[in-house]
Amino acid sequence: MQGIKIRLGRALVTISGVVLGIAFLMNILTGTLITRAIARENKLRQQVGLMMALVNQDIGEVKGATIGVVVCGALQDHEKAFLDQVLKQKPAEVRGINLTMPGVTPSDEHAMGKDTDLCLVLGNAAGCPSALSTLTAGMKHAIVLDTSEGRTFAGAPAPAKARELFFVGQKDEQDRLIAAEKTAQFRTVWIVVISLLVTVIGIANALLMSVTERFKEIGTMKCLGALSGFIRQLFLIESAVIGVVGSIVGCLIGIVFPLLAYTLAYSAQTVLGSLNYGQLAGMAFSCMLAGLLLSIGAAIYPATIAARMIPAMALRSNV
Amino acid sequence: MTISVSQLDELFERASDVGKGEYVIRAVDVKKVYRMGDVETHALRGATLDIRRSEYISIMGPSGSGKTTFFNMIGGLSKPSFGKVYIDQVDIAQLDPYELAWLRCRKVGYIFQAFNLIQVMSCLENVTLPMAFAGMTSEDARDKAMGILKMVGLEDRALHKPSEMSGGQQQRVAVARALANSPTILLADEPTANLDLKTGEEIIELFSRLKEELGVTIVTATHDLKMLKQSDRVVWIEDGLIKKVSTADELDIQLEEIH
Repeated sequence: MQGIKIRLGRALVTISGVVLGIAFLMNILTGTLITRAIARENKLRQQVGLMMALVNQDIGEVKGATIGVVVCGALQDHEKAFLDQVLKQKPAEVRGINLTMPGVTPSDEHAMGKDTDLCLVLGNAAGCPSALSTLTAGMKHAIVLDTSEGRTFAGAPAPAKARELFFVGQKDEQDRLIAAEKTAQFRTVWIVVISLLVTVIGIANALLMSVTERFKEIGTMKCLGALSGFIRQLFLIESAVIGVVGSIVGCLIGIVFPLLAYTLAYSAQTVLGSLNYGQLAGMAFSCMLAGLLLSIGAAIYPATIAARMIPAMALRSNV
Repeated sequence: MTISVSQLDELFERASDVGKGEYVIRAVDVKKVYRMGDVETHALRGATLDIRRSEYISIMGPSGSGKTTFFNMIGGLSKPSFGKVYIDQVDIAQLDPYELAWLRCRKVGYIFQAFNLIQVMSCLENVTLPMAFAGMTSEDARDKAMGILKMVGLEDRALHKPSEMSGGQQQRVAVARALANSPTILLADEPTANLDLKTGEEIIELFSRLKEELGVTIVTATHDLKMLKQSDRVVWIEDGLIKKVSTADELDIQLEEIH
């Protein structure tokens, strides 16, 4: 009975080791995911803010104005967010070509420009099917804001003032950020590798102790006819169970804690809204798989030792 | 290399059909040398012994005499360095690890001084364990196990764990486990050493009953004088050789009684 209690205690300690190792790994992965999501979100807001600023500069308030929107190609995230912002400002009317959205009146090339304050050209296509002159015919101020650099318009060049509406971060700044992320990544990978190594060694150690203590049991089973492979499987399965339980708990801890931490620093909406849950689930799954494989790997040496034991050891009654 | 269970069954059936041996164990000039670094230890220097079916043999000897080594050899637990050991007409030196494991599973039942029961399993599970290794279905195993437990008088303790039972009862479970696969040979290493006088007597009586009812051959290593009295023959090993084999009557065993 005493022996069983000791073994259960040791199993708990081993599981805790796995939990810590996997939680650490998951923590770092989740943290990276969250920071990236937040960065993405911030960048989006920045872009939208700039775009609105340009709009306000050209036509003043959006409220009560008539806006025409031409969509050439698929809308990107920041363009969608920008449109939402525009609509929120309650313009008098928004006329759209290739655009179906609640609050947007479908229109065509010729009806676009009549009494319109501003024309926006959005989308990722390089060329726009319409000519600027057609679009801007009848506009109060012939102002066209274009989100794509180098977009060409069919037909005659326009007397309109086509302004660029896109945002380009400084190239140097971007390079610097990328380089910084790479060095930080290398260091984190190294730390994670070491912590996982420590976990593996812990499991192997615990199992070796288990094997040594159970030599009588193993020897007896071999006397009863158990094959070496059976004994090896016994220990591999024991380790796999420890690995699975520890990995699941570790993954959960590794997800919950960073989420809590970042939610306190930023806001729940920012963090939870912008997170890519698919990627998170994928990472969690691979973490659990990694934990399981490491546990089984750590068990190979002790299990092999157990399997090689000679049955005559069980007869040694004086040990 | 894998051998199917049925192939092994055939192998051993054929072997023992060859004149359903009068001798269930034959040791012919068995020598065993242990090499540890440069030092050679001659544990056995040429032991020869024939054991008949349904015989009750006791092996005695001082420690270091090679008694344990000889015992292991007869039980298929180790192979001789020189000489031959035949268990049921099969030369064990020819067997590979799988076949040896099979031999241990089906032909020999082991009883240990310290019982060696698995503490986390109930008695029934302990008895059905070797049956699982032999490939029996769990239903057949349960029925047979209950039958054997009834024979040793423990059928109402079947679901108890070893820690909940006395030493004598645990040893009886161990005997039941040894009988699980209907072995030809029962090998008992000092079975009464951890038991008091009375329980020891019960075990000895159980052995006699098994010999009569099942016809198993019983080989014990023991210092228990009561066991020696019950044996058909007593083998004395000293210094790696069999010094004497005598019947129980020839030995002048006088038991001192404590009043």
